[in-house]
Amino acid sequence: MTVAEFTADNRPSTNRTSVRRWVLSHVMRHWWLVPIVLVGAFGNAALAGAVPVLVGRAFEAMDRAQPDMAGVRTAALLILLSQVLRAALQLARNFGSELIGQRLERDARDELYASLLGKSMTFHTLQPVGDTMARATNDVREINLMLNPGINLVIGSANFLIIPVLFAARYDPLLVVPPLFFIVSYAWALRRYLRTLSPITQRARRAFGDMNARLAESIDGIEVVKSAAQEEAEVGRFTRLAREYRDAFVAQGDQEARFLPLLLLGLTISFGFALSLLLFGRGRLSVGDVVAYMGLLQLFMFPTWVSLFAYSQVSSGMAGAERILELIQRQTELDENRKGHSARIRGEIVFQHVDFSYVEGRRVLRDVSFTLAPGRTLALVGQTGTGKTTIARLINRTYDVDSGVVLIDGVDVRDWQLESLRRQVSIIEQDLFLFSRTVAENIAFGCPDATRDEIERAAREAQAHDFILAMPEGYQTVIGERGVTLSGGQRQRLAIARALLTEPRILILDDATSAIDSATEDQIQRAIARASAGRTTVLITHRLSQIRWADLIVVLRGGRVAASGTHDELMETSAPYRRIFARLGADEDRSEVS
Amino acid sequence: MFMNLDVEAYDREYSDRELARRILSYFRYQRLRVVTIILSTVLLGLLSASVPILVSRGVQGLADRADDTRMALLVVLVLAAWLLIWLSNWVRRRSISRAIGDTVLEMRRDAFAAAVGQDLSFYDEFASGRVVSRITSDTQDFGQTVTLVADLLSQFLQLIVLTVVLLTISPQLTFVLLLWAPIVIGMALLWRKWSRQVTRQGNRAMAEVNATIFETIAGISVAKNFRREAAVYHEFDAVNRQSYAINLRRGLVLSAVFPALSILVGAGIALVVYLGAAAVLAGVLVLGTWYLFIQSVDAFFFPLINLSSFWSQVQAGLAAVERVFALIDSEPSVLQLASEPVGRLHGEIRFEGVDFRYDDDGDPVLQGFDLTVEPGETLALVGHTGAGKSSIVRLVSRSYEFQGGRILVDGRDIRTMDLREYSRRLGVVPQAPFLFSGTVAENIRYARPELSDAAIEEVARRIGDGEWLDAMPEGLSTDVGERGSRLSMGERQLVALVRVLVQRPAIFILDEATASIDPFTEAQIQEALDLILSESTSIVIAHRLSTVRAADRIIVLQSGRITEQGTHDELIAARGNYADLYETYFRHQSPDYHVPA
Repeated sequence: MTVAEFTADNRPSTNRTSVRRWVLSHVMRHWWLVPIVLVGAFGNAALAGAVPVLVGRAFEAMDRAQPDMAGVRTAALLILLSQVLRAALQLARNFGSELIGQRLERDARDELYASLLGKSMTFHTLQPVGDTMARATNDVREINLMLNPGINLVIGSANFLIIPVLFAARYDPLLVVPPLFFIVSYAWALRRYLRTLSPITQRARRAFGDMNARLAESIDGIEVVKSAAQEEAEVGRFTRLAREYRDAFVAQGDQEARFLPLLLLGLTISFGFALSLLLFGRGRLSVGDVVAYMGLLQLFMFPTWVSLFAYSQVSSGMAGAERILELIQRQTELDENRKGHSARIRGEIVFQHVDFSYVEGRRVLRDVSFTLAPGRTLALVGQTGTGKTTIARLINRTYDVDSGVVLIDGVDVRDWQLESLRRQVSIIEQDLFLFSRTVAENIAFGCPDATRDEIERAAREAQAHDFILAMPEGYQTVIGERGVTLSGGQRQRLAIARALLTEPRILILDDATSAIDSATEDQIQRAIARASAGRTTVLITHRLSQIRWADLIVVLRGGRVAASGTHDELMETSAPYRRIFARLGADEDRSEVS
Repeated sequence: MFMNLDVEAYDREYSDRELARRILSYFRYQRLRVVTIILSTVLLGLLSASVPILVSRGVQGLADRADDTRMALLVVLVLAAWLLIWLSNWVRRRSISRAIGDTVLEMRRDAFAAAVGQDLSFYDEFASGRVVSRITSDTQDFGQTVTLVADLLSQFLQLIVLTVVLLTISPQLTFVLLLWAPIVIGMALLWRKWSRQVTRQGNRAMAEVNATIFETIAGISVAKNFRREAAVYHEFDAVNRQSYAINLRRGLVLSAVFPALSILVGAGIALVVYLGAAAVLAGVLVLGTWYLFIQSVDAFFFPLINLSSFWSQVQAGLAAVERVFALIDSEPSVLQLASEPVGRLHGEIRFEGVDFRYDDDGDPVLQGFDLTVEPGETLALVGHTGAGKSSIVRLVSRSYEFQGGRILVDGRDIRTMDLREYSRRLGVVPQAPFLFSGTVAENIRYARPELSDAAIEEVARRIGDGEWLDAMPEGLSTDVGERGSRLSMGERQLVALVRVLVQRPAIFILDEATASIDPFTEAQIQEALDLILSESTSIVIAHRLSTVRAADRIIVLQSGRITEQGTHDELIAARGNYADLYETYFRHQSPDYHVPA
């Protein structure tokens, strides 16, 4: 069992030791469908073989001095009957594998989704959203398609390969030679064909992707292209990429043109024709037998054409399964720590010699130390990428430190129960995320049981009540629906309301919002001021006015604490700090603010 | 002619004749290849029809107890036919993929050249994603349609040959066989309609699942911060199960197609076996021709099923190519009267009675607008949204065509200058700076590919002693990621500014970003800006307090008119429009800003 931050109840476990076993363990949950598919596939092929056999019998009945019309009628009726029965078995095969495929898609997605929820934030930060989405949508779909049509057709066509051998034997043992020749040579040729084709297909796909990516980029950056007068260079670049794709496309076409199984089919039919004529000449076959035999050889048409895509469908399904399993298997470092320390937080935050890196060898924080007393406000300042956000995330244990220690009320965050810690530490992220639900539901996301009054109170505190009421359906307005969009300032105030409703003891505000107008800025700042009253607050901000009035300012540079203290202290001691204020001429402006 | 959801204003209808002419013109350099394709397609059709005919001769030969040489000849002919089938298919496929590859390549290049030739007003109107899909997907669809047509042609040729042969043998029995056709086609059409419906429902259910997953993954940190994983999981579980149920129904419908066809084909064979035997008895058929009729049931069915999906696919392919041509043929709205060499510019800009509106029937944005910007001057434009700031800038950069008056640069009408050369004298930084994937250095030298790394480094180091370069993992060689996504917003702005700095434009146009930048990077951006402003005539749509304060002149715009102009201090003292704008947009940027109670 892997460590997880979340585990869904009542999920059947699967075998994750290898991709094949994983897929198999999913299939075996619906094991009773497997015999249905197998029986359906065999019956379908056998009854497809019944047609030439029966046609042969009809010929036999007619190739007599006294033609036997009754025999022909029986054969015709049997053909009709056999094909009705065949349709039923074919449906059983198709629908059986469809059922397995759909269930596999459902279950694999479910397993992946639950595992994603259980992964730590380290995982989610490092894992690009686009990639995860691709696995959860396309790859899961590929697993479904691998079963149907993929494996369904592989099993189906395998039976079509066997039937001519089985049926031919009843006419003359020698007649099994051409079909056996076909099976062996076909397996060899197909394997070779798929092996040579797959790198070419990949090359074509990659070339198409490159071409598309560059194209999208040039068109999106058209303003830059034009003002740099680089149109011709762009056309040249695009044409080069388009030509690469063209070459790959042609190479793929050449491979497909050379499709050997078709030639083998022709050879087998010609060989079979010659052999049956020879045996007829020796009196070992009748006309009807020859007719039946030629019909049986034609059954090979189906595997010849189907193999073009059935096998690649299976292999891309397996590749999809591999990518999904890889994601599920990836380790997550944190666990829920259900038995950990649990108490009401007073709000003291202490960092002692903290080192941290997301990826081994690339240190983001080095020897970071500071102490923030309960109820005070800390401003983290520094260039983008110097580790401000990382510090915030170490506080609610989104990540664990590499060395050093983070203490809340004197207790190492690793010893806190995750639930208790996160419930009392609220982070308002830089990337404000709102769900496409109603405004009220978004505010109450952390406290689904909150009453309408509590929600409104939080919204008022966050200066959000007025603009919410101005929306088409007030608190019941669904965000993202019918063009309901919010400005950055509005989103931020909703996020503050959401955090306030949970009454956190420590509030972390990663603030990259910028108000375009001063009135909005007034409201945002008022909301932040209200929110930070009476609780320990960590502000990551670009707002000089907030930095200036914080109880403690920590200046970060390259993951180290370059300076810390109050505004007045830093103006004395830190040259870079002084420089940002000097450029803006803080003192000259004073007269204008009234 | 074609029903379509993504119609754009520049789309047009081409007559069938015009469309055919245009398509054929793309094949004009490939005559030999086209002839090869036609010949091999005909050959393939004839050969495919010949195999069952040859085998049926063989069956007849058995019934007649024909001599060995005749039978041996038939065997050789069957073998030869198969070899030639493979060979002609090989030639045909190779030629087709080359013909399509070249045609699509040429079409793509034409479409892309047309797209980059468009002025910016085109991209303000039409979503770039759709333009992209015309260049790649629509051309791809066209190529696939050509393949489809070629494949179907050989199948139909086979069908026609067989039909003719069968008609000469027994018109009645052929008629029975042909009677089957409408039934098969009708069924295929009905099924297509049905499966389209369930597929649509299935896709909708899938889209809902995907949206749920996307929301969870994008908002995972919120869910984790509030410990709401279980609730989120249950919501997902519900839509996942729903999608399963709906898609299973789709699967059931699709699973039934081939079984239904099996019954139809089986019934057809049974009928032909019985009626054929009766015809043999009546002396109309012999064993060989009877055999041929039975064989033809299969050969009849598959082209017919393909036919039922043929038209809609060909129509979609033609609609796609029509969209590509529409893009190629769309005309830019900015038109130059002459194309005189530009030479060195001092950067004096003069608007003389300029009239401008975005649409022919829209409200005028500028009317009789006059403005002179001196060489080297830094002009800041301020005003509410819609006051005309962007319009002024867009007219100078020649992204839009104006309707009346003149715009002069160094005393010359901008409509008479060589547009490409003029653009090169212009440095433009849009509000959201755009970077191409590649390194920082590649982006900086975008407008001047000839610059050496050392030259770039020298310019870059002039800003904040190059500290911003040291902050990036690999300095100038840092990969900026797709659209600059690996850099912070502030770093992207810095790179965009340095890109203009190395371009050394005579005229600099900046639409200042409103995003908030950390104070350290912000200070460096200001330095870069100061450098450019000191070297060029600059027009800035100002959003930053520091910029308006540094401008030589501020122009206050209201509904396309200049209401005030002067320096920051003069205008504040005047207590007019600018003072109001300051109170609205700039007050909070002052470091002495206090939260109002």
